Amino acid sequence: MLGFLAARQAGVDDPLRLRRAESTRRVLGLKLNPDRDVDRIHGNGINTIDIDSIEGRYMLSGGADGVIVVYDLENFSGKPQYTCKAVCTVGRSSRHVHKFSVETVQWYPYDTGMFVSSSFDKTMKVWDTETLKPAEVFEFEGNVYSHHLSPIARKHSLIAVGTKNPKIQLCDLKSGSRIHVLQGHRAEVLSVRWSPRYEHILATASADSKVKVWDVRRASGSLLTLDQHNGDKSKASSEAVNTAHNGRVNGLSFTGDGLYLLTTGTDDRMRLWNSATGENTLVNYGKVCNESRKRLQFTVSRGCSPEFVFVPCGSSVAVYALHTGELVTMLRGHYNNVDCCEFHPDYQELYSGGKDCNILAWVPVLRASDVEEESNSTNTGAVGQSSVNPAFQDAWSSDED
Amino acid sequence: MNRKRALISDTFKVKRIRVGIEKFGAVKNQHGPTDIKSTIQYLMTLFPRKLFNDTLPQIVLKHQLYSIHNDKTLVDKELNKLRERGELLMFQLGFDAEAFGLIFASDYKAKVLAAEEGRETRATVEKFLEKVVSSCTDLSFSKDKMLREFLFTDSEITQLVKSGVLTVRDAGSWWLSIPNSGKFTKYFIQGRKAVLGMVKKSKYNEVLKAELEERRTTAHVKFHMKYHIHDIVGAELVESIPTTSGTLLRFVD
Repeated sequence: MLGFLAARQAGVDDPLRLRRAESTRRVLGLKLNPDRDVDRIHGNGINTIDIDSIEGRYMLSGGADGVIVVYDLENFSGKPQYTCKAVCTVGRSSRHVHKFSVETVQWYPYDTGMFVSSSFDKTMKVWDTETLKPAEVFEFEGNVYSHHLSPIARKHSLIAVGTKNPKIQLCDLKSGSRIHVLQGHRAEVLSVRWSPRYEHILATASADSKVKVWDVRRASGSLLTLDQHNGDKSKASSEAVNTAHNGRVNGLSFTGDGLYLLTTGTDDRMRLWNSATGENTLVNYGKVCNESRKRLQFTVSRGCSPEFVFVPCGSSVAVYALHTGELVTMLRGHYNNVDCCEFHPDYQELYSGGKDCNILAWVPVLRASDVEEESNSTNTGAVGQSSVNPAFQDAWSSDED
Repeated sequence: MNRKRALISDTFKVKRIRVGIEKFGAVKNQHGPTDIKSTIQYLMTLFPRKLFNDTLPQIVLKHQLYSIHNDKTLVDKELNKLRERGELLMFQLGFDAEAFGLIFASDYKAKVLAAEEGRETRATVEKFLEKVVSSCTDLSFSKDKMLREFLFTDSEITQLVKSGVLTVRDAGSWWLSIPNSGKFTKYFIQGRKAVLGMVKKSKYNEVLKAELEERRTTAHVKFHMKYHIHDIVGAELVESIPTTSGTLLRFVD
């Protein structure tokens, strides 16, 4: 570590190298920290979390009871012990709350004044964070499994929505119209994701085992359908041709640079695809337990080398190295199934939420702080006594006698 | 004091790598660069040839390799290299979408021709082995391909299916298969079920690997115990946990 710092100072190393090495070291040291807590507001399982991409300060969570909570993640108290407080809640008592479980929440990509939530009550609501009232409500015919706003879009403000209907709807935030429909899937669409690299590229995953990549400017259909055998028709039975998985595909995630796409399916496999060509890179992650009937929210680290994938696996979160496929570690801490996880790129922290109504914060732990350092900071008024362990301090005799 | 050793990324690894220190109890798997071919050969020695009266070539399953080597992607890459070179053949075994059998090409050809001695289908099978198996690394063939690329007639295809080299996949396509492998599949599935049952029945659903290898096997388990253990660990039907008393196998629901 000191070597890296010295090399950067001398100009031998690129500054990015130190940053990458330190980020990777922090991610490998992720652990449940007794000092960091998230306020427990949800009374039922947590289905989805999202951290805003501008400041990384506020976190949204959507629960199975329809409740949406906004948390403040920043620690301004000066103490290491910190509970992330809930700033505001759309609770059961609110007039506009969703009737059934909230499946996806997402901040508006450019500021935290707005967020979008979609739920099993067949609606998608665009909320104003200040007043906590929906500015717009989109209604659909079937349960809404997933929606996504493009994080980099400048020319459009479309929300892609995946519902029980095999057609993917694109709703326009500016005009409120929803006439653009993408047809191609044969079963419900479980997950939709915009590419973080090109603002017109959308990937969708469906229960018919197919993953399609679309360019929304093109009227004629999908660009690619991902094929797990890379066109080698001999490998599987003939029904499995052109499928991404041997079961429902319920998780989609692009890597931070948008060059690779990860998909998970109920065949207990996770696959890494080259997002430009649609080729299966054949990285073998082994068995990634997946029993979710809905969307699985998993996440990829950003700014590390090698990148890591955090996948909820039963009641723990599995961490895999992205390109080699080896299982690095399992983060255990939840009492019940984990449904969603989200990576905070600035602090290399992981937040995961699950059916046990808890959101756990996994914080990098690098070095246990020494006892002497702590007592030094608290005993600022101590005269003459240099770093006495608080256990030996005289706390009972009084000075008066 | 933090007793758990933290994960360290490669960039921060300590310079000195101490060699030759035996850790008590813990079994170390990495012995230098991974040699897949020698691992396959070792696994083949576990295959019981006598059971099939030497009519079957030695078969190893692809996921058995995953139980020995940590990096699955590397194993897959090496296997593909061996297949491209024509040394190894891969077969879809049929009972599981992910179970692939591996046989050395020379072994396969020898056994198939030996089985075809004196039969009228011999010439066709020889032609098939020479033309198709040596050049193409596919697992299955469609009717189109057989007729056009390899210039086989319909009756020849029927002969190949009769001899067991091709198995029906669906209308108009066939899997490459191993003749007389039905017995193998039957015994294998039986044995796998029995060994898994042994792990399941133990207290807490876990057994030490060394203890499992020592156990007396019932008549259902016809293969070597180690063969089955590599199979269930590689297929991730049991979790392999390193402990101070050796490797522990715990059943995964």
